[in-house]
Amino acid sequence: MAAPLEVIVSSDSGSQMWNSTVFDLLSGSSLLSYRGGSSSARSLSLLSGGYLLSAQLGKNFINVWEIQRKDQLQQKIVCPGVITCLTASPDGLFLAAGVAEAIYLWEVSTGKLLSVLSRHYQDVTCLKFTDDSSHFVSGGKDNLALVWGLSSVIQLDLNAPPEPRHILSRHSLPITDLHCGLMGAQARVATASLDQTVKVWELSSGELLLSVLFDVEIMSVTFDPSEYFLFCGGSDGNIFQVSLCSQSLSREKSFQSDNDGDTTFKGHRNLVTCLSVSMDGTLLLSGSHDETVRLWDIQSKQSIRCLAHKGPVTNAVIMAAPANMFLPDSRPAVPLPRFSRHLQASEGGGATEVCVRPALYTQEVEKTYMQKADRLNLLMNAVTDKSVFGDGENTKVRVSELEEEVQTLKKVNKDLYEFTSQLLTKPT
Amino acid sequence: MKSKKKKRQDDFQKVKLKVGKTKPKSDNATNTNFRSKGINLTEQLKRDTSGPTTHRQLGLNDLMSQLHHYSANIKHSALLGLKELLSANPSLLEQHLSRLVSEVAAVFTDKDGNVRVAATRVLRFIAQSVPAERVAPFSPVLSAHLSCAMTHIEISIQEDAMKILDVLLEHYPALLAARPAVLLTNFLELISHRQSSGGPKKAQDPKGRNWTLSVNPNRTVTSQQWRLTVLLRLGRFLLAVVEERPVEESDIFIPTDGVFGSSGEGRLIPLNLNWEELTYSKVGVKVYEHSGTKPTPRSTFRLRPEVDTGPAVGEDLDSAEAVQSFAATLVPLLLEVWVEASTSDCPGNNTEGAHLLSPDAMSVMFQVLSILQLLRKLAPQQEHQDALDAWFYKEYLGDFKQHFMKNFPYDSRDTPRHRKKVDLKRSKQTAVVPVLTVEPLALNITLCQVMVSLSQRQGLGRETDGDWLTPLRTFVRDTLGSGVKLSYRQLHMLLGTVWKMVLTQRTKTVTDDLLAAVYVYYKQRNLTLQTRSLLLSFYSKLYLQEQGHTHIARSKVLCRWLASLPVQLSQLGHRNPALSERLILSIQAAASRRHKDLLKSLHTNACKLYDPQEGVVVLLPAESQQRMVQLLYFLPKMSQSLLANLSCCCTTGRISAGLAASLIRIVHFRSSLSGWSVGSQEAAVEDVNYISFLFSTLTGFSSEKLASLQEVDDESILPPSPLSPLSLYSTPMEQFTHHWDVVEEVCHCLETLGSKSQCFDIVQNGICKYLIKLGVVPDSMAAGLLRAVSRLLDLSVLPIEPVLRFLSQCCLSLMALLISLEQELPAETNHKREAIWGACVSALSSVPRLLRMVLQLMRVGDLSEEELPQLGQILSMLLQHTPIHNQLLANAALLQDIIQQLTRYSRGATREQWLTDLLYCYSVTVAHGSSARRGSLSLRDMY
Repeated sequence: MAAPLEVIVSSDSGSQMWNSTVFDLLSGSSLLSYRGGSSSARSLSLLSGGYLLSAQLGKNFINVWEIQRKDQLQQKIVCPGVITCLTASPDGLFLAAGVAEAIYLWEVSTGKLLSVLSRHYQDVTCLKFTDDSSHFVSGGKDNLALVWGLSSVIQLDLNAPPEPRHILSRHSLPITDLHCGLMGAQARVATASLDQTVKVWELSSGELLLSVLFDVEIMSVTFDPSEYFLFCGGSDGNIFQVSLCSQSLSREKSFQSDNDGDTTFKGHRNLVTCLSVSMDGTLLLSGSHDETVRLWDIQSKQSIRCLAHKGPVTNAVIMAAPANMFLPDSRPAVPLPRFSRHLQASEGGGATEVCVRPALYTQEVEKTYMQKADRLNLLMNAVTDKSVFGDGENTKVRVSELEEEVQTLKKVNKDLYEFTSQLLTKPT
Repeated sequence: MKSKKKKRQDDFQKVKLKVGKTKPKSDNATNTNFRSKGINLTEQLKRDTSGPTTHRQLGLNDLMSQLHHYSANIKHSALLGLKELLSANPSLLEQHLSRLVSEVAAVFTDKDGNVRVAATRVLRFIAQSVPAERVAPFSPVLSAHLSCAMTHIEISIQEDAMKILDVLLEHYPALLAARPAVLLTNFLELISHRQSSGGPKKAQDPKGRNWTLSVNPNRTVTSQQWRLTVLLRLGRFLLAVVEERPVEESDIFIPTDGVFGSSGEGRLIPLNLNWEELTYSKVGVKVYEHSGTKPTPRSTFRLRPEVDTGPAVGEDLDSAEAVQSFAATLVPLLLEVWVEASTSDCPGNNTEGAHLLSPDAMSVMFQVLSILQLLRKLAPQQEHQDALDAWFYKEYLGDFKQHFMKNFPYDSRDTPRHRKKVDLKRSKQTAVVPVLTVEPLALNITLCQVMVSLSQRQGLGRETDGDWLTPLRTFVRDTLGSGVKLSYRQLHMLLGTVWKMVLTQRTKTVTDDLLAAVYVYYKQRNLTLQTRSLLLSFYSKLYLQEQGHTHIARSKVLCRWLASLPVQLSQLGHRNPALSERLILSIQAAASRRHKDLLKSLHTNACKLYDPQEGVVVLLPAESQQRMVQLLYFLPKMSQSLLANLSCCCTTGRISAGLAASLIRIVHFRSSLSGWSVGSQEAAVEDVNYISFLFSTLTGFSSEKLASLQEVDDESILPPSPLSPLSLYSTPMEQFTHHWDVVEEVCHCLETLGSKSQCFDIVQNGICKYLIKLGVVPDSMAAGLLRAVSRLLDLSVLPIEPVLRFLSQCCLSLMALLISLEQELPAETNHKREAIWGACVSALSSVPRLLRMVLQLMRVGDLSEEELPQLGQILSMLLQHTPIHNQLLANAALLQDIIQQLTRYSRGATREQWLTDLLYCYSVTVAHGSSARRGSLSLRDMY
């Protein structure tokens, strides 16, 4: 059997046997299940394709599995408090967790706790990185969503505590979920809140782009990859699809079903807690407190599969299958260090070196298109230069060759002329 | 020869004239006896065709040419004529604006005073009737003539130039402010003169200033008054320049529209694009411009050429350096003016310690200070302003301290009466000086603001500013605390100084000291709405600033203020919705930050705020209601009484059904049963209380109301009859729909509680305990109960007998009501009928026992004549409803019995329509049922 491209990873809070389960996206068959404890909401995350992390429900540690060893924990990361949300940066370099009001940020390569950000006034509910790992967004019960620049957060300047890049403060009740679109720092962020609205923001400027008012509280939100639609999971079990490319553009709108592409997916009977869209934008995955995970076809709005769970679903996500998930003999590419529990103060002067390594593709300065074009032009010219002109010695030989050729050509021409003139003047 | 001689004599004969005789007529005399008469040529009398004229028959062209006349009188009358002509014919103004402006501007510098006055009048008239954008092309001409007049060698012309400036500033501030450089130099030249550079004095002067104050003894007014007039204009002009600047961020405490602190409206504008148009490139769209990280730079591209700026004041005031250099020229002059004003009248301290000043000196000083204030604001951008502040601090702090702070609390001298009269007379004589009275309070406040703006954030390596800030602080504190009447502007300025001091001083004592003073002011009773909301927004902005300022966060006054907010809100009631809105916003901000004092106070006042009768939540407009409901989420604990109040709020219909639904859901989220919890937040609602809240919301009527219903004898209550065993109280239509919506929400909450059977048990107990004994039941409650039962009931659970009996009575009564409703006004009660029918049918189909009991209740024998058709209709409706066919068939014997009795009692002589229908329905149902049964039988036979 060929390994699937995309898999569903889901967890619920009721199951005794296993923590989280991996399903094939297309067939719905259960492939793997990871044992040990149970995960809390919004905490399941994949770290650099080699480890699966999830916060233990109601406890103060994080379970870590190696992705191929489903029945044994690799380690437990102990935190100072109950973890409310957890996420790993897509480049696998940083790990962020919300513990009560604070956000803890670890460096994965060394296991150091880089900073503790306590700008929220109440519990942090959700954390998301942008796809280029340059920023992350945190939402809290204090109605605020904060946009943090990773580079500013990890600078250890003790005099000035890191400030968020933007404070998104237009919600009036706790934020329940947020989603970061693609395109790095130019992404759009959607935040869902108990105040029955979903708001879409521009990450780079912190501007509010759109606010959609619903009839019920919204518990989860996601975009499809091309950002045609916004999917919002309501507290009554309905999933609302809002078209983002409709003609009527206004900053504030209220959701009305069957109105320019806004529709409702009906099927769940309780809070929809997690939503995820497949890579090609055709399938929507939703997990709910009615103990089911449903897979929907977005085009036809039908539920095509229903995966029953043992308790309220805490995490359900469609992710690209890591390469060695199904190879039991493989090992993760990078070993995982022990994670420290305390901020390391600068003892002994230069003891605290922070290794900030930019992501692979940003290490080298990309050449501009002009430079590339110049180089291409140079190469092409070099070829012709060499063949036509050559260097000094060849020139004379070449010239004489050419002259000879001209001579032969002239001769041929003359012959041709004489032949034709004879032919024409010959009396018939 | 002789003849010849004689002849000659004849020719030249001498005429002798004699005295007393008339002179003989000479030969060549003209006969003047004729009479002449004038001939009127009518063509020539026609009026000037070129346009309308004045009453002196002068057209526009004539008047224009007269403006160049040498005689002052002619010019004067021409200007008067112009004004008359223009006011009579406004259209002329539009046609000849360019000529008019240039000609009138040319006489600004006329030698004759009357002409200038008249020219000013004409200009004012033009300014009043022509909008600024139409004058814009001529503004170079105007300002050229204006500066010509301002720099004129004759003093009276300079003075009149001020009036022209007044007119222009009043009507076209933007045009003048567009190129400030030349005018600013002119202002300087009006009160000072430049020393020749390279002189020995320059070397002496440490700061390299080369402008000194000038005194001209020829003026009709004192030089102080003259300076006052100039400074007044300069102040206005700078104000115009400042107002022209792009507004970057709103003032500190102007209420913003956004939720809190965030910028109200986004800078981004939604753009409507059509893909088809885009592909054919009809419109070009720039999607990402810096992707919004930087604000779009304002284009400085102008179509009109810029006038060459004077060399003295740098180019324009667009760069920080230019502003700084201008300030470097102006500030020393202002200081000199200040010194002169403060020393001109004899200094004397009175007993209170305030420094006394004459009114003139006071107004001069006031102008000096307000110009300083404006200079600060001139900086084009925020960061420039900070740099400018730092520069002021570095350069002039010593001077300011020395001059301004020396005699700080200023007061006006109480001049004796007779002197005042003289002053009045003098001011009448010299009408040049505008009579301005400046209160000492205003002067002091402005001084505070100027000085405080200089104070820097205390950092390392800076000496503290405490020494000179102390008197200022004392003054601010005393002014606010003593309950002096302050105007809105003054209060705004004072709060600005408090704000700045609190942010820069960063000590707890100072903060508390100042905030306490503001709080004293805040607690005054009779404040206007504007003032009150200003103070409110001051506090809430300050509170939002607390992050990173521990001294603010720990301020006791701020805590006390926050804690007092819920009380104020409840006391305010419905009197002022706008103010309540602001209060709620502040409360919400603090509650979302989990401010302990506020939450405590909110908890104690919650019952009052959420009172269903006179609580704020029902009195305020819908938007505030929603915020109040959202506020519930943050309450740490919801007591039983609060929940009772909330339940009443939901059911009495003073908040909309949608809002009631979201209220119920918020209570649901705060209970331990919601399932959505992040972190270690404990539930605010105990489970027991939550369930009783849901149940009382489900019933929709308080127990008192129900009890009173039992006794009331009203026509809206239908008396019990055999057909409707309970007497139904028919609720009004709105209440019914409202209750119906609420019931749906409650049912949804109950459904998600967990085990359905337990949930039903609870509801059943509730019904059994509280409702069974009722004789009069509201119809909305009965329908709601049936709805809830049908939604909650599992097939595995069997309801207990008394509850079933009660429900069956409800069901039968409702169906009887349905029949009676159908007869009257079908359109209006449509929704109600559908709801009732739906509730009955779903309950009947989900509880088989219920149907049986309903059928048993239909005792035909007890019915009166009129009720028989009704029962028949009920039965036929039930029979026509296919989903309950099977259950009806299960009770076929009972049904048959009823129908037989019906046919017997309804006097078989005339078979009525309803009976025919009923029998038909019955036969169809039975036939269908038997065939189905036969089918199933045959199926069974086959196996």
